[in-house]
Amino acid sequence: MKKRRQKGLDFVIDKLTNSIENTATGEVFDTEVVQLRNTDLKQIHKADWQFDWTKEIKDKTKEVYKLTTANNPTIIQGLISIEDKQDHIFMHLIESAKFNKNKDKVYLGVPGNLVAFACKVSVDKGYQGFLAFDAKTALIKHYQDTLFATHFRGLRMFIETNAALQLISQYFKS
Amino acid sequence: MGLIREPKNVDFTVKSTPWTEEELRDFRILMNELKSKKLLRTKVFIRQRTTRSRKKVAA
Repeated sequence: MKKRRQKGLDFVIDKLTNSIENTATGEVFDTEVVQLRNTDLKQIHKADWQFDWTKEIKDKTKEVYKLTTANNPTIIQGLISIEDKQDHIFMHLIESAKFNKNKDKVYLGVPGNLVAFACKVSVDKGYQGFLAFDAKTALIKHYQDTLFATHFRGLRMFIETNAALQLISQYFKS
Repeated sequence: MGLIREPKNVDFTVKSTPWTEEELRDFRILMNELKSKKLLRTKVFIRQRTTRSRKKVAA
């Protein structure tokens, strides 16, 4: 994990290292999470993604991060769009690359990795790890079991401090 | 360090819709309660540690 320190107590997270697992070999690869900005739009090929990530990157209220393996930073494994709500982080979108979807997915751990990253952003900003998002009905139980998320109401879910710290410790090397 | 290995047939995709003002208000009430409880537990823990340390020094 690398942090670029600025003046005072503030710091910018520009890169974080963790890992994902190859489904065929079980090999674990170190990964990096890096923010995508307007200058990085050419890295997104619309046909490869279900959601409109170009729109997300252009939206100044949101921050989009890509997950790549450390040794191949040009191939995007997954994307996440988050918003700073001043007292918590809101997760707008999360999507794995198309080769990481369905039964033939290449890597496991991409979404969990990105959610743990969002929780870390929340902790770093002083929001005690709180992360809010929507879930598909069928996945509410799955998120409760795997992400330790709490069901708020309807499709609304959130991750609180203890769950966030658990996720962060699972994914990020100390 | 461990990984959360999602099942191969499960695709974890989230597309959130904006929360209503009412939902956000209720969520913030709950969140602040949880944050306060956490803060209180941390303060109690720190106080207990400080008291123990003082006792050790006194002994």
